[in-house]
Amino acid sequence: MQGQTISLMMSNVESIPGKNIVNSLGLVTGSTVRAKNIGKDIFAGFKNLVGGELKVYTELLNESRNEAIQRMMIDAHARGANGIVNVRFATSNVAAGASELFCYGTAVIVE
Amino acid sequence: MSNAILIVIYAVSAILTLLPLWSWALGRWYQAGLVSKLNENEKLIGSILDDKMSISTSNKISLLGAEYSTLLHVSLCVGPSVGQIFFMWLKSLFGGRLHSYDVVLDFGRREALLRLKQQAAERGCTSIVNIRIETSVVSFAKTQNSKQASVEFLAFATGIR
Repeated sequence: MQGQTISLMMSNVESIPGKNIVNSLGLVTGSTVRAKNIGKDIFAGFKNLVGGELKVYTELLNESRNEAIQRMMIDAHARGANGIVNVRFATSNVAAGASELFCYGTAVIVE
Repeated sequence: MSNAILIVIYAVSAILTLLPLWSWALGRWYQAGLVSKLNENEKLIGSILDDKMSISTSNKISLLGAEYSTLLHVSLCVGPSVGQIFFMWLKSLFGGRLHSYDVVLDFGRREALLRLKQQAAERGCTSIVNIRIETSVVSFAKTQNSKQASVEFLAFATGIR
């Protein structure tokens, strides 16, 4: 499964617009815990002199969130779903220097 | 010779002790630039999108007739400068409005929404429904009480066409 990208229909409303939900397959989740590397740390330290957007963190979080979504899709795909509805995201600071990015939704079969 | 060394040491220490002040001033200047750029971009994208794109936080609207839907998500990390954090610490002894945080957080949220709209436009969506905005503190610093905390804004929505 690693390296292979799966694409499912996703939405954060109760249905997939324009489609009929045939079957619901339950909760699917995906999560990843990330820490940043020391080079980015130093760069962000310099950036902190002026504040504003911290691009290295933005990129890191986007990358990690995409990975979490990918894991959720793999979970849904393994159950034979072709869509995920009601997707929610959560971010939490689990330890000093690390963040957990978590996403969850309901796997469904649509036609 | 020793005089020159003394002057260098004096200058370096002066710069270091005034570092919060430098950082505060630089931060104010830099963030004002960011905000004015954002204002321009908002006007630009507003004039392109506002006529044809409807944006709402509701999930109860009629979704009939939609032929395509996609999940949009944008996240953005912002933080005030170290000098601003230092002066805000002083200010928070007295309480009251923290202007620097106001500016930075407002900038971050508006920028996140703007990028969401841009992403929707790139994928050809005609409306955005069920927008949610979440705020969380993200600290990648190795020590517990570091000042390098930054705020993450996550905006996600369903784009339909």
